[in-house]
Amino acid sequence: MAPTREVFWNIPRLGVVIMYLLAFAAVAVCGYGVYQHYRTWRRGKPASRLTPVGPRLRAVVVHVLAHGRLLADRVAGIYHAALFWGFVFLFAGTLVVFVHQDLGLRIMQGPFYLYFQSAALDLMGLAAAVGVAAALVVRYGLGSPRLRRGILSDALVLWLFEGILVTGFLVEGLRIAGTRDPWGPWSPVGYGISGLIDAAAISEATIRLGHAGLWWLHFLLAMVFIAYIPFSKLFHLVLAPANVYLQPLVNPAAPGRIDFDKAERFGAAALGDLTWKDLFDLDVCTECGRCTAVCPATATGKPLSPMHVILDLREEMKRTGTGAAPGRVLAGDVIAPEALWACTTCMACMEACPVFIEHVPKIVEMRRHLVMEVAQMPDTMEDALRSLEARTHPFRGAGISRAAWAEGLAVKKLPRGDRAEWLLWVGCAAALHERNHATLRALVRVLDAAGMDVAILGDEETCTGDPARQMGNEYLFQTFARQNIETLDRYGVRKIVTLCPHCYNTFRHAYPELGGHYEVWHHTQVLARLVDEGRLALTGSAAATITFHDPCYLGRHNGEYDAPRHILQALPGARTREMAQSRQKSFCCGAGGGLYWMEDRTGQRINHVRTDHAVATGAEIVATACPFCTLMLEDGVKARGTSIRPMDVAELLERSLRGEHH
Amino acid sequence: MDIIVCLKQVVDPELPQTEFAIEPATGRQVREGRPLVISTYDENALEVALQLKDRGGGKVTVLTLGPQAVISDAFRLALAMGADEMVVVDDPRGPDRLGGEKAAILAAAIRRIGRFDLVLTGCESADWTERVVAPVLAEALSAACVTFVSRVEAADGTLMVRRMADEGFHRVEVRLPAVLSVASDESNRPRLPKLKDILAAKRKPVHVWPVADMPAAPGDLAAGVEVREVVIPQRTTRCEFLEGESAEQAAALAQRLRDLKLL
Ligand code: SF4
Ligand code: SF4
Repeated sequence: MAPTREVFWNIPRLGVVIMYLLAFAAVAVCGYGVYQHYRTWRRGKPASRLTPVGPRLRAVVVHVLAHGRLLADRVAGIYHAALFWGFVFLFAGTLVVFVHQDLGLRIMQGPFYLYFQSAALDLMGLAAAVGVAAALVVRYGLGSPRLRRGILSDALVLWLFEGILVTGFLVEGLRIAGTRDPWGPWSPVGYGISGLIDAAAISEATIRLGHAGLWWLHFLLAMVFIAYIPFSKLFHLVLAPANVYLQPLVNPAAPGRIDFDKAERFGAAALGDLTWKDLFDLDVCTECGRCTAVCPATATGKPLSPMHVILDLREEMKRTGTGAAPGRVLAGDVIAPEALWACTTCMACMEACPVFIEHVPKIVEMRRHLVMEVAQMPDTMEDALRSLEARTHPFRGAGISRAAWAEGLAVKKLPRGDRAEWLLWVGCAAALHERNHATLRALVRVLDAAGMDVAILGDEETCTGDPARQMGNEYLFQTFARQNIETLDRYGVRKIVTLCPHCYNTFRHAYPELGGHYEVWHHTQVLARLVDEGRLALTGSAAATITFHDPCYLGRHNGEYDAPRHILQALPGARTREMAQSRQKSFCCGAGGGLYWMEDRTGQRINHVRTDHAVATGAEIVATACPFCTLMLEDGVKARGTSIRPMDVAELLERSLRGEHH
Repeated sequence: MDIIVCLKQVVDPELPQTEFAIEPATGRQVREGRPLVISTYDENALEVALQLKDRGGGKVTVLTLGPQAVISDAFRLALAMGADEMVVVDDPRGPDRLGGEKAAILAAAIRRIGRFDLVLTGCESADWTERVVAPVLAEALSAACVTFVSRVEAADGTLMVRRMADEGFHRVEVRLPAVLSVASDESNRPRLPKLKDILAAKRKPVHVWPVADMPAAPGDLAAGVEVREVVIPQRTTRCEFLEGESAEQAAALAQRLRDLKLL
């Protein structure tokens, strides 16, 4: 006889019929719940997230099957992987039974039965049981700072998992004992249990009774599980893989486009002003707390927790259902404006979220409502916007020349009639802040030494509009963008190198939507290339210990972590050290999202904390690649009274070019 | 209540001192290449007018004097904030005129606008700080005048205003028509316009009247004032070392401070 087993051993015909009825009911409840959610998602505005298929599927492989982001937290990632793969196997096993029994395709036999259906399933089930136990211990035994205890549904779900697994093993053990299954040893866990039963010399009638009882318990728990999916955290079983697939592939922080000729409402006042994907996101959240654990605003005592932004919005979505109940104003009634204004748009939350929830675009959409509809924002940010309108830059009190830094350097200027292959887009934070003039001069000298043909716009440059955009004034942003695109096109600019990652991000992602298409490079990318091509004679010693602070808009927003490090490694004699929070996990300097212009009064200052991180490495120099980061760190150094020196990588590169010693 | 708010366009007062320049030949301030903004307190005056309108209705007209080409765009902000219309007296020489002269022209423009209950100005301009426009206007229009007003409340037919004083404030009752010069106060921080108002402001009426059409005021209120010279003060610092032992130095220091009337 080929190895197999009787599917419904010890279960009478009537029982099997009842089983199917109950299973149908459970699936129906589940389907109903999913449909209810689907109706609420449909309240959102359109967003296209289905194509391209290839990279999206690849992301599913990396982040679902291989647990990419989940493994960023080693312990949690490993036990999650155990229970994830355990349940995947057990679910596959259930499908095998279905095909074998209900479709009548006899696949559950022979070696396949032994290797897969018995041995593999048993071991994977054991892995899942251990994984669930670990999850319970971490959550309720050890206590994890990011996980909240006392969430009833979390406990319920975990015990439900454990209940299904344990009853499953017991049922298996009893069956093996009751049927004297010759293939029993292929299911090691069940076989072990059957051995105990044998040893206890339990009568066959008792075995049958116990088996029947536990079989029904196991089955009922499984049905509860299925029915409970759309009403609990279990929903992420389905939604999380979907959300990985639906993730934004480029420019994940960008809020939606607004066509001011057509739009009637600006920003998100209510849930219906968000996209369906935004609403979908809300249901995906597993309350794992990873986003809040990495948020610099939360860490420094600001009234913002990205997880709670998601959960509070979800609460509002539950309350208003498909839109029958009157919705509240999101920015104000649902989320405190102070929370929205505390976000630096640093993307740490989005980078950490294992299910790819998009916090930042939602926050910016709500800011848009506050700024463009209600006209309410923090005074100091308002001043920056007014300045932008009156002075073409957000720095009140700055001088009028944008080329003062270039005095004495032979820099080409397009308005003077010069022509060049590259435009160096200087950016307000560098042009109008004396500290960054040194960086600009260094950059220009390096580019010149490498023989690059570069010009600037001088006083015809204005703000890219990015601060307005991050603060929520998309209208003002677009006004600047259109004007700049016109200027750039007038001079036939094709290739741009920017000093500032914010300008870089804006040219790269926001201008193309408005018709401005350029080849855009960040200065560290250009410099890394020059280093690679050997176009710079790095003769001078740069002996120093250097740690690099990743600017959010270069790193997380644009995925460039290597170029600046590459430059630092090329400096003769330089030793580099990483901060504990670097690369994808870098901690914001505090200036992003327009917060450079915000009086940061609550809690600690983000830039002071970041300065501490740099100091903790013992480095003498904290290298940056963003004029805002430089200013913030300079301020942090002053406040902390430490000796570490913030320097742009361009400055460091130029020193070793000149052969200067530190 | 119909309110006219006089707004002056000035060179950005937030610019660092180093950006302040005077043309030696003419004595006029160099405006070229510098951002031009609405003079600080004039925005407070506009906010006071808009709050009165919010509470009691009426119409707010903004009035300005200067070269029309550079003015109208920047001043859309006033319309976006909520003013109903704008009158620009197109005057290429506007920025260089003295307060009295300007007030005379503004008075003529106000007479041409016709109806008004209240005229508001900033308490002083961010460039010349003459503080004369409000009183001269009141004289020309035969209206009551209160300067340095921080708060205004309408009380049927009259106004109760708060006037800043050296210590504390005066409460003054003013009959209409009146001219008030407004100082800044936490209650009159200029509002941020909503986007729909910014978009709507593009369709609000802007009247441009050539300065030549403004009939000269009866009696020349500006007569007798002439600018002879404009200079940027040179700030110098001097450092003096006191000799001797600590005790002698201390005594010498006390004496020096007494001489300078600082002690
Ligand atoms: S973007 Fe940064 S500051 Fe904003 S919520 Fe996310 S982690 Fe916090
Ligand atoms: S948003 Fe993402 S990271 Fe934050 S709690 Fe929810 S699932 Fe976790």
